Amino acid sequence: MAGRTPIASKSSALIAMIADEDTVTGFLLAGVGNVDLRRKTNYLIVDSKTTVKAIEDTFKEFTSREDIAIVLISQYIANMIRFLVDSYNKPVPAILEIPSKDHPYDPAHDSVLSRVKYLFSAESVASGRR
Amino acid sequence: MGEGEATGSIEIAGQNQHKDEGGEVGFEAKDQNLNILEFLDSLDSYLILMDSLSSTLRQGWFELAGARHSMGASRINSALLDLKNHSAATHLHANHHDFESSAREPLFRLCKWASSVDTRECCSSGDEIGKEKLQEKFDGTQLRRRGTAPSSELQEKVSKDGVSQPVVNNMVQKERAKSLSVFGTLVSPKLRAAQFSFETALETLVQIANMRSSMLSAFDEVKKELDVMKP
Repeated sequence: MAGRTPIASKSSALIAMIADEDTVTGFLLAGVGNVDLRRKTNYLIVDSKTTVKAIEDTFKEFTSREDIAIVLISQYIANMIRFLVDSYNKPVPAILEIPSKDHPYDPAHDSVLSRVKYLFSAESVASGRR
Repeated sequence: MGEGEATGSIEIAGQNQHKDEGGEVGFEAKDQNLNILEFLDSLDSYLILMDSLSSTLRQGWFELAGARHSMGASRINSALLDLKNHSAATHLHANHHDFESSAREPLFRLCKWASSVDTRECCSSGDEIGKEKLQEKFDGTQLRRRGTAPSSELQEKVSKDGVSQPVVNNMVQKERAKSLSVFGTLVSPKLRAAQFSFETALETLVQIANMRSSMLSAFDEVKKELDVMKP
């Protein structure tokens, strides 16, 4: 429609999780777990048997669902599908990379920080000064 | 000295000239600096919040491990997770607005244990909760009471009219107990503590999500300005 002005609307949305068992269990204790009529959950527990394809498919599913506003993904899992996470650039759902028990948070791998570190590269500073 | 005075007068003249022609140029440079400052501030806040999240999660994992130790590994297991149809007790309210707008309103608001409570009363911006928690931390007077959590006090503050506060607290406690009941009727206090830690982590995550949005918005502004400056 021409001349449509954006309207700030509030809608209820879920937090999705792709993480290890302890992290998912902890957040489920906090009440974020959702199971719909088709037994589809808003979380994926990743263990040693989970394939990269399964993680990719779940990531794609969560980022295309309209009822999910934030996707939490352990950073070590995000590293397995880094190309997919880095190529995602929509504002909602927001992808937040979180640490896990065995893999502390590394700012160097965070997809949001790698997008903005362009500003700190020598090339961008030099080209701005010309 | 003469040269110094001359230099000073040239500088002042330069500034005046800068002001005259460039009242516009001056304003643009000021805007640019403000955008850069905003970007750097939000980046700094983002990193501080991530650090806070890491320590909260570490505490939660530690408490969960303690609960598993006292209750047994078979009682705290993903196999026990409820796969029956149920909706999330804690969810978000997302403001969908044009991300090019300069609105400063948080994008996400966390609604904890909202399934049995009027959502207007329990939704809080992560920023408000964050400020409360930060104040409590600095005061050092917050004591963790068994069976209750500081967030229940926040629920009291948020719910001002309509449903009475004790009723709201009871509902929230019931939701918490329901969430814990997946792991049995009698649960370790460490599991309750883990629940509280992960609730705190959720609040931090909402703040991180809003800060991320501010950071990317400020980054876009700075990038636009840099692109304009390029030949």
